[in-house]
Amino acid sequence: MDLSFLTVQVLSALRQAAFLFLISSGLTLIFGVLNILNFAHGALYMLGAYFMYWITLYIVGTGGFLLALVLAPLGVALIAAVIETGLLRRIYMQEEIYQLLLTYALVLIIDDLAKIVFGPEFKSIPKPDVLSGSVTLFGGTVPVYTLLVVILAPAVALLLWYLLHRTKTGKVVRATSSDREMADALGINMSALFTLVFAFGAILAGLGGALAGPARTVFPGVGTEVIIESFVVVVIGGLGNLWGALIGSILIGSLETVGIIVFPEFEMSLIYLLMVAVLVVRPWGLFGRPLKVKALSEKNLAMEAQEISPVHFSVHPAVRWAPLLLLLLVPLVTGRFYQYLLSQIFIASLMAVAFNLLLGTTGLLSFGQAAFFGVGAYTVGLLATKAGFGTLPALFLSPVTAAAAAAVIGFFCVRLSGVHFAMLTLAFGQLIFTVAYKWYGFTGGDNGIQGIPVKPISIGGLAGIDIGSNQAMYYFVLLVVGLSVGLIRRIRSSPFGATLKAIRENGQRASYLGVNVKLYQWTVFVIAGAFTGLAGGLYALMEKAISPEIIHWTKSAEPVFMTIIGGIYTFVGPAVGAVVYIVLNSYLVAWTEKWALVLGLVLLTLVLLLPGGVVGFVNEKARQILGKSGCIRRWSFSKSAK
Amino acid sequence: MAFLDLNSVNTYYGRSHILFDVSLSIEKGEVVSLLGRNGAGKSTTFRSIIGLNPPQSGEVVFKGERISGMRAFRICRKGIGFVPEDRRCFPDLTVLENLEVAIRREKEVASPWTVERIYALFPRLQEREKNLGSQLSGGEQQMLTIARTLMTNPEVLLLDEPSEGLAPLVVALLAEMILKIRKEGVTVLLAEQNLHFCAKVSDRGYVIDKGSVKYEGPMSDLLINEEVKEKYLAV
Amino acid sequence: MVILEVRKVVKSFGGLRALQDVDLSVAKGEIRAVIGPNGAGKSTLFNVMTGLLAPDTGNVVFDGEPITGLPPHRIIRKGIGRSFQITNIFPRMSVFENVQAALFSHHGTSRNPLSLARGFTRIGEEVLGILEQVGLAEKYDLSASVLSHGDQKRLEIAISLASRPKLLMLDEPTAGMSRFESRETVALLQKISREQGLTLIFTEHDMDIVFAISEKIMVLQQGAVIADGTPAEIKANPEVRKAYLGEEVTEK
Repeated sequence: MDLSFLTVQVLSALRQAAFLFLISSGLTLIFGVLNILNFAHGALYMLGAYFMYWITLYIVGTGGFLLALVLAPLGVALIAAVIETGLLRRIYMQEEIYQLLLTYALVLIIDDLAKIVFGPEFKSIPKPDVLSGSVTLFGGTVPVYTLLVVILAPAVALLLWYLLHRTKTGKVVRATSSDREMADALGINMSALFTLVFAFGAILAGLGGALAGPARTVFPGVGTEVIIESFVVVVIGGLGNLWGALIGSILIGSLETVGIIVFPEFEMSLIYLLMVAVLVVRPWGLFGRPLKVKALSEKNLAMEAQEISPVHFSVHPAVRWAPLLLLLLVPLVTGRFYQYLLSQIFIASLMAVAFNLLLGTTGLLSFGQAAFFGVGAYTVGLLATKAGFGTLPALFLSPVTAAAAAAVIGFFCVRLSGVHFAMLTLAFGQLIFTVAYKWYGFTGGDNGIQGIPVKPISIGGLAGIDIGSNQAMYYFVLLVVGLSVGLIRRIRSSPFGATLKAIRENGQRASYLGVNVKLYQWTVFVIAGAFTGLAGGLYALMEKAISPEIIHWTKSAEPVFMTIIGGIYTFVGPAVGAVVYIVLNSYLVAWTEKWALVLGLVLLTLVLLLPGGVVGFVNEKARQILGKSGCIRRWSFSKSAK
Repeated sequence: MAFLDLNSVNTYYGRSHILFDVSLSIEKGEVVSLLGRNGAGKSTTFRSIIGLNPPQSGEVVFKGERISGMRAFRICRKGIGFVPEDRRCFPDLTVLENLEVAIRREKEVASPWTVERIYALFPRLQEREKNLGSQLSGGEQQMLTIARTLMTNPEVLLLDEPSEGLAPLVVALLAEMILKIRKEGVTVLLAEQNLHFCAKVSDRGYVIDKGSVKYEGPMSDLLINEEVKEKYLAV
Repeated sequence: MVILEVRKVVKSFGGLRALQDVDLSVAKGEIRAVIGPNGAGKSTLFNVMTGLLAPDTGNVVFDGEPITGLPPHRIIRKGIGRSFQITNIFPRMSVFENVQAALFSHHGTSRNPLSLARGFTRIGEEVLGILEQVGLAEKYDLSASVLSHGDQKRLEIAISLASRPKLLMLDEPTAGMSRFESRETVALLQKISREQGLTLIFTEHDMDIVFAISEKIMVLQQGAVIADGTPAEIKANPEVRKAYLGEEVTEK
């Protein structure tokens, strides 16, 4: 290996590390003080890049490049301050998932707004001539811009260190991140400090974008790629730790550079593999500490805000079965479009209901369910195309392989909780995604698998039943999903389900009932994985083609949305959410380009106004109205039943 | 009207009722003790005053102004300093930084506390200036949290069980500190279980038990009141 | 007959010795109080006895079996129940479900994923029996989070009773209760102990309660046992008096 090659590679690694550091330092700073993992941080990065584009193009010109580099982050900070004071501030007392979702809703909104304002196409930001050339360094050719980046980022790191350790405000920030209440009692205005820190974090993200924009390109949604890498960095380094973000950035930057040279196929997998390895050895990251449990008084407030009244009111069986009957009649009166739409809804419902077995029932927020969906789908895809399996055997194996994957992944994940659990499931999910995306020899890579045959089903030597037609497929999907959802409902109402709820409510107390909490969490993770895999298998049969996009983390976010839309603490909530989500999706996409914007606004509204979801809200209203009219039958345990 | 008044304060943690009609009245320049066993409601009284657990009914009046319902940082800026019981100095900040974060410029004070004045009062802190909060001993941490709160220039200092878990020699030192702080013109409200420590530093005492005030009077009377001691403080 | 024996338990956190050579021996059916000033090590001792913390040295023997260092869920199965200082229930479940979950675990049915929970009528009756015992039968279908503090504490005791413990450890069972509520709770505890021969170990800061119901009292100070005896002995002990009132502050 010669020196010129080494120089080029080292500088390329450092450049990558520099971009990562700028973004993740802000992310970790915000987490440290506000305790919020900001999904929208990637969107702020994107805004930084767009502002850079806009300012250099229309205001200062390429000559004012450096001035633009200052102005763009300030613009981002202004927007961040509005977000913090107008939205985030309302939900500091809420559970973590609502905070995550609110920032995710912002991602959708900001991305679409960027598309409206700046257009959907890729933009490249012109650099002034001085920065466009390259120089020769130890025999290697290095772009001047790379040098600027690798000089500027350490300078920012130094400045950051200076601000945090040498200024009064910086010291206050550090004090607050270790003991919020004490800082409050010492006369520090938390609200103002939170706004300041959030805006400052946004400056760093904006600077990252403004600096990376001219080196890469800008397009709506570029933030969603960046944010995941930054999550990896801050989780590896330890959430809330600035040193961790620095070391994490250098590790990931180097790994990506080395990966491209040594394992060009699986370069992307390496960073997730590293994250998994780090979290397995050090669950809180390299420099992290276990997260403090929120003060009891804070928790109480959150708890009372979403009290779930367990007063049972039962619905007449006829009312319960009527929808199913209607669904059976649908194909007789509708055409292909509705049958397909409904089949999509069924599959999404299964995924969401299975997901909610984790979130709503057990209190585990998984952000990697797409992995199991994908494993199930690829199981059917591969077995049917390459091994000549029949439809039923292939479908039968999809929950089995997904459960096996969940068993391995769950083994590591259930050792963590809260945000860390979510991040580790996300990492495992992305790991599987990157493998499927690149392994052309086995999964077909980014081409996926086309032409999955749906063979006639034969049961017990009976003549084959052809489910190839739309109508037959509709009934087949309805049958499998119906049975699965019924089974999940049964699991939820079983003693096992009751124990899961106890774990959700109070894990420590549950262990004092003699329950092995981790074992139960692992078991339910495997069960949810199996059903998600089955949903994936059905998807492969219905679509007859699959691509790795179904494993991408944005797909993992879908069941989360559906559940929040419908209502976490209800059984049908996620299914209702699936209906809303898919219908909105299908119609809005046909009707307007701004689908993500609408979804983002819906989510935002729900998180702020209806945290119980649509079904939760309807239940509550029904309870109030029926309660007044005396229609609610008080649930009673009959002693005489023997 | 006294300098600091609590009028029939009732405070809850979630659903549990902790303080029952607590009324206190503290004059400027006094050192007043709030005595009681574990869980009697001393810390909750302090947290109610400083606004970390605002009272649900009743009011806290400071210099004629109702402060209950204000947020903690505002109450602090009005001139009430709170030193919590578990010595919560900022562990990742040095001794000097711990003091610096508490400096407040919002308020004009005739003779503000400075780091120099603090070091004169607590020479030990100067020696450990560059050490992190987490590297200090229990006694040093206690001094640091008191010193840090003094930096906010409080007119009233709420000290929650400062003697707890400290060696007798350090406790004696602490008593001296409190007397010095008082000489600087700071009014002190001291929550304690240690009766003899209180007797040394304060003039007047309240005895609190199960969330309500059971006794009020000069420390000299309390010291010889076997009945109150027996019933509410000893076992 | 001795049901619980703690021998020479030492536990340190960093430099701080939270427990120093603590010995404790409790007889079956006894009501025993553990008291001491804040930070004396009561909670640490409880945590060591119920497996939340492993002692540095020393051991804990329950019912003739060593249980030192076992995880909580295994210790509970051996017959030790625990209630907590901060009310520790399942807030967003009904009163009935709270106790039911405990009974499922006790009967080993928790692992059953395919039967309906409400189909276990025998367990349901047992739930109602326990709720009657603690006086919550009427409120079985309310959300635990809407109960009064006193009722939540009773519910917690009901949950602990559901695992049919031989020994029940209670951390400040009357904390935050009104006078009326704490009197009722104390009567309840005495009744349960008497009727079922249940051994109780509890910490409490309300000395009226401690002296009214304990048969023996152990006093901890800064992690060490400074006295252990009958209520009369403890009342007369000068060391204990000093621990609570503080030493005379000597002039320097």
